[in-house]
Amino acid sequence: MKLNDNAMIRKEGPFAIINHWALAGSCILLTVTGFAFLYRIEIIGTIFGGFTAMKHIHNWMGVVFTISLLLSIPIWFKECSAYDKDDVAWIKVAGGYLSHKVTIPPMHKLNTGQKLAYLGVLGMGGGIIASGFVIWLFPGSQTLMLAAHMIHNLCFIGIAIFIPVHVYLGAVANPGTMRIMIYGTVPVWWARKKSPKWIQEVEEGRSHH
Amino acid sequence: MTNHWVDLRNADVILVMGSNPASNHPIAMKWIMKAKEDRGARLVVVDPRVTQTATKADLYAPLRSGTDIAFLGGMIKYIIDNDLFFRDYVVNYTNASFLVNPDFRLPGELEGIFSGYDEKTRKYNKKSWSFQTNADGILKKDPSLKDPNSVFQLLKKQYQRYNMDLVSDICGTPKDKLEEVYKIVGSTGKPDKVATECYAMGWTQHTVGVQNIRAMCMIQLLLGNMGMAGGGINAMRGEANVQGSTDYGLLFHILPGYNATPTASLVDLKAYNEKYTPKTREPKSVNWWGNRPKYFASYLKAIFGDKAAKSNDFGYSWLPKVDDGANLSWLNLFDQMFKGKFEGFFAWGQNPACSGANSNKTRMAMSKLKWMVNVNLYDNETGSFWRGPGMKTKEIQTEVFMLPCASSIEKEGSISNSGRLAQWRYKAIEPVGDSLPDGEIINELYFRVKAMYEKVGGKFPDPILNLSWDYGKAGHDGGIGHIDVRKIAQEINGYYLADVFDKTGKQIGKKGDLVTNFVSLQDDGTTSSGNWLYCGSFTMKDGKPFNKMMNRGKEDATGLGLYPNWAWCWPLNRRIIYNRASVDPQGRPWDPKRAILKWNPEKINPATQKPGAWEGDIPDGPAAPLALTDGKLPFIMKADGVGSIFGPGLTDGPFPEHYEPLECPIQENPFQSKHRINPTVKMFFGKEGDLKEDEFVSGDTRYPIVCSTYRVTEHWQTGLMTRHVPWLLEAAPQMFVEMSLELAKEKGIRNGEKVTVSSVRGKLWAVAIVTDRFKPFRVMSRTVHEVGIPWHYGWQFPVDGSGGDSANILTPTVGDPNTMIPESKAFMVNVEKARR
Amino acid sequence: MSRRRGGKIMERKALLISPELCIGCKACQVACKSWNLLPATKTKNNGTYENPPDLNGYNYNKIRYSEIPSDKNPVRWLFVSQRCMHCEEAGCMKICSTPGALYRTKDGAVATNPEKCIGCHLCLAGCPFNIPRYGKDDKLSKCTMCADRMEHGMIPICAKTCPTGAIIFGARHELIAKAKKAGYAKVYGENDLGGLGAIFAFKDAPKIYGYEDKPSINEMIILWHKYLKPLSWIGIGGVVLGSALHYFAVGPHKAEPPKDSEEVKDEAK
Repeated sequence: MKLNDNAMIRKEGPFAIINHWALAGSCILLTVTGFAFLYRIEIIGTIFGGFTAMKHIHNWMGVVFTISLLLSIPIWFKECSAYDKDDVAWIKVAGGYLSHKVTIPPMHKLNTGQKLAYLGVLGMGGGIIASGFVIWLFPGSQTLMLAAHMIHNLCFIGIAIFIPVHVYLGAVANPGTMRIMIYGTVPVWWARKKSPKWIQEVEEGRSHH
Repeated sequence: MTNHWVDLRNADVILVMGSNPASNHPIAMKWIMKAKEDRGARLVVVDPRVTQTATKADLYAPLRSGTDIAFLGGMIKYIIDNDLFFRDYVVNYTNASFLVNPDFRLPGELEGIFSGYDEKTRKYNKKSWSFQTNADGILKKDPSLKDPNSVFQLLKKQYQRYNMDLVSDICGTPKDKLEEVYKIVGSTGKPDKVATECYAMGWTQHTVGVQNIRAMCMIQLLLGNMGMAGGGINAMRGEANVQGSTDYGLLFHILPGYNATPTASLVDLKAYNEKYTPKTREPKSVNWWGNRPKYFASYLKAIFGDKAAKSNDFGYSWLPKVDDGANLSWLNLFDQMFKGKFEGFFAWGQNPACSGANSNKTRMAMSKLKWMVNVNLYDNETGSFWRGPGMKTKEIQTEVFMLPCASSIEKEGSISNSGRLAQWRYKAIEPVGDSLPDGEIINELYFRVKAMYEKVGGKFPDPILNLSWDYGKAGHDGGIGHIDVRKIAQEINGYYLADVFDKTGKQIGKKGDLVTNFVSLQDDGTTSSGNWLYCGSFTMKDGKPFNKMMNRGKEDATGLGLYPNWAWCWPLNRRIIYNRASVDPQGRPWDPKRAILKWNPEKINPATQKPGAWEGDIPDGPAAPLALTDGKLPFIMKADGVGSIFGPGLTDGPFPEHYEPLECPIQENPFQSKHRINPTVKMFFGKEGDLKEDEFVSGDTRYPIVCSTYRVTEHWQTGLMTRHVPWLLEAAPQMFVEMSLELAKEKGIRNGEKVTVSSVRGKLWAVAIVTDRFKPFRVMSRTVHEVGIPWHYGWQFPVDGSGGDSANILTPTVGDPNTMIPESKAFMVNVEKARR
Repeated sequence: MSRRRGGKIMERKALLISPELCIGCKACQVACKSWNLLPATKTKNNGTYENPPDLNGYNYNKIRYSEIPSDKNPVRWLFVSQRCMHCEEAGCMKICSTPGALYRTKDGAVATNPEKCIGCHLCLAGCPFNIPRYGKDDKLSKCTMCADRMEHGMIPICAKTCPTGAIIFGARHELIAKAKKAGYAKVYGENDLGGLGAIFAFKDAPKIYGYEDKPSINEMIILWHKYLKPLSWIGIGGVVLGSALHYFAVGPHKAEPPKDSEEVKDEAK
């Protein structure tokens, strides 16, 4: 049944929101401290109370990041691994980010970019977590250390590039998106524009919100 | 050492045989490497295995333990046959030209023994070992060395049997290596070429120990290397201050200064002096021991002080005497202890439970004591013998006292190194806890014993009560609270007890002053000296006592490393002894490039105020060179003034002869079948009633492997101190046995696994080090294996027993007939994989 | 040879190690532990004179004992020192995560500051010679070429102790000249890794002594530090810049509510 355009619809639940901020918060801390380790930045170390304290923060934030990432899987993985030809078309128009004149194909709850981004985070996050634990817990082997160090750094680059893009897209380039991760709800009219296939599903009773 | 440590760098050839300086005297390697680097010297190493020293050798030759005399005898033959000896030196400075009693017979003629042997007493009557003299009692000589009775011809005859084929067969040394060694060492027979020899326990710890060293002395005399810079015969002492200990008479048979301990039959001073003051008719011999009465009287004055007077023979009757014929050396002492003959025992700064041959017997012997005093830095296998492995603790009645003592860095004093150099050491830190320097312990002990004697009397209190003992400030109880080591050093040097004048009437000493040197010592009680050798070490300078052992001057005028202003050495700070043999009879150096001494006929002699004086090192005796008027022979401590090629003073023969070790891998002496071992060795086992603990075997298939003992750099002696240094224990944590790959394969032993090494006297575990550095020997057409073990470990520490136990569990009760030093370097064992 | 470092010209110092002079006495091992007051580790005999079996946080240098075939003796027993090589291009310094944990002394040595070190163990991955080990508090513990002694004008304790001159200390260029004069055609470490601070006089090929012919820092580290690290700055800076550019050039996707909307009642609130 048709939804009232002016009503609010829940896009993400409280669990997802908490999970996102746990991921984001730990990720920021990990990135900043990791930056300090990679480039030996004294001032960041001082802010965190010394490099040794920073190491403990980095390691335990890593644990938080790991748990959060694992818990995110039941929340988003299913959604983010489903793709159809609309997704292909979306890529062809670059999601409409390069020009306001193109037509954006209809998207589901999350657009193609968002879905790919999640998989990216999962992949790089997984890589950085695995290599991080090797560095922390298996320091004895030169070979392991070298490989882990390399993987950790490459994943870091990926994540470090992802963060500004994600923040920009989520907080600036798409007005109305930010509130999803604060209140969890969006106006129906907004959702109908951005995620028409999702609203259609809800109205046809094929999914709940 | 006849020479000294730094002098090693002056050599052209360095023969290392019977020692392993790289491992055990690493600082010596500094000088050996300098000789190699700076003058292209060649290092020749002869050893049962490739040692750390051998890794730096220009030539390494393997040798079965216990066959050094065969090896060296072959070298003597080679030197003579190839005319490599330094003829002028040999004729003038040795007894090679002396004619020997025509009744003298060699082992080659008597199936292994010299003339005069008594089978029952196992001793020699040395009558036939004498020299011929003419009617005036002057020795008969043949400078052409051709007379068949000349020492030289007898020497040649003796070693004729030591051909290279036989020597190679006995020693297991390939013939080509043998010849190479002989050639290199023999090349130093030229006046301007010199070889030095470095030996240690590898030569001394045999039943032919002294003869091993004798053989090399003879070679050095033949080659003219004695008294030369870079030459000599150089014992590398096994302990930092053992030179000091022998200098100060810590062995039973000597008093300080190598004066003999009097025997009971020498009833008075006259008898003693008569026996021990050598006489000679040789006009050109200085015969320095002729001064013995002066040194002995001065010694008695030092210890008995004012109580010693001419009227009481200077207290001679208060000196302890040894029963005639008694040998109170270690092996005999512990044998007596085992038989219950001792009530008490001071184990002072030693660890007999690990250091004495035949540990099981030694440890059992200690259980027969009523009391023991263990004076040491740590508790050890000796102090705790009663709870050691195999001991029936509950049955042992010995009361053990531990007196903790200070280490060398916690007290002041001198130590004398192998080069006779006495270096003064200072206290770095206070002794730990209640531990005291040995001197303080002895001091306190003395005054308590003295007080007891004064209170309750005793059988013969005089020797104790009459001792002069003023080495510190006296307390109100009559005793001395703390001894002043410097006062003792002064006592050792000695004092003028009255104004002393020389024969011309000139005053040479003022009453109360420290004696200048031993030349000033008198036999009439007007001088004292605790040890004449050290006379001159602490003298007057600008009216005040001056300790020369504290000197640290680095000047070296000759460039030969004499460093005369660095500390002080005996005698008289003479760095190379017998150095007057380094010049020809005219006083010109044999080797001008390394001249330590030279006679300057123009220079005014400060002593005589006449032209003609020595330049360089302190000359060994101030007399002019041999050929000049009043010239004297260089070997001033020998009665005849010359070096002994023929040496009748030893128990087992005037020439070294090869005998097999007590326990050896072959049935017979390859030279003859009658005397396998040294015929004068004391046998502890073989007669009815002998202790089973002293059992030995030879040619026994149960123990077919030759075993030797040695040391590692990381540990020292029984390891009593070094096992307590964590860094050293970390570097060398456990008992090991080195063996060849071939032997390991035969026994199925893998590198690093624990094995059992056993002799007929005991067994121990060791970690196997399987290495190509040991190779099987080919001996008399058979394969003979040899293994080697260190002797640094003991069950008491580490307390978990992970270190292992002493090598001496395996060694036999037998020693050299002259010194009684145990034969720890060659005995028979078996090696098996350890059973679980 | 002088170099400019942080404005100050200094003479590079080095240790020259000559295995042919080494007698394997381990004085260098013990002296180092003595000076640095390092505790002993529990060891056992593994069928060799070599102990401890490996460098560790309490053993900054050690001698490796190896027996190889010889043409004149039954065997050739080699004693080769193993210790930090004080590389000019130090892999440990490149990969280290903490400023000041590793630092270059004015004499050119690579020294450690345990107070700064966080014990991340990355340095081991960076070292071509497998030297870093971890001691007290799991922090990097290695030879510093006795930086504390050098500060007071004293020489490294191993060089001071060595009886045969197998380890000597001095101006680097002088030591190289000395080794060449003594007949060593090449000096190991003369140019490798920018020049090592512990140089070796090898009579034979380095492999005989247990050293790589051409030691180098692992390519992955070079790849990261030389190429990827600068690229990553570009990458991160790039996307930040790109985002800003996009905002001004393209602008956000504004979503306009339908014309007839009222004040929205948020049911979810």
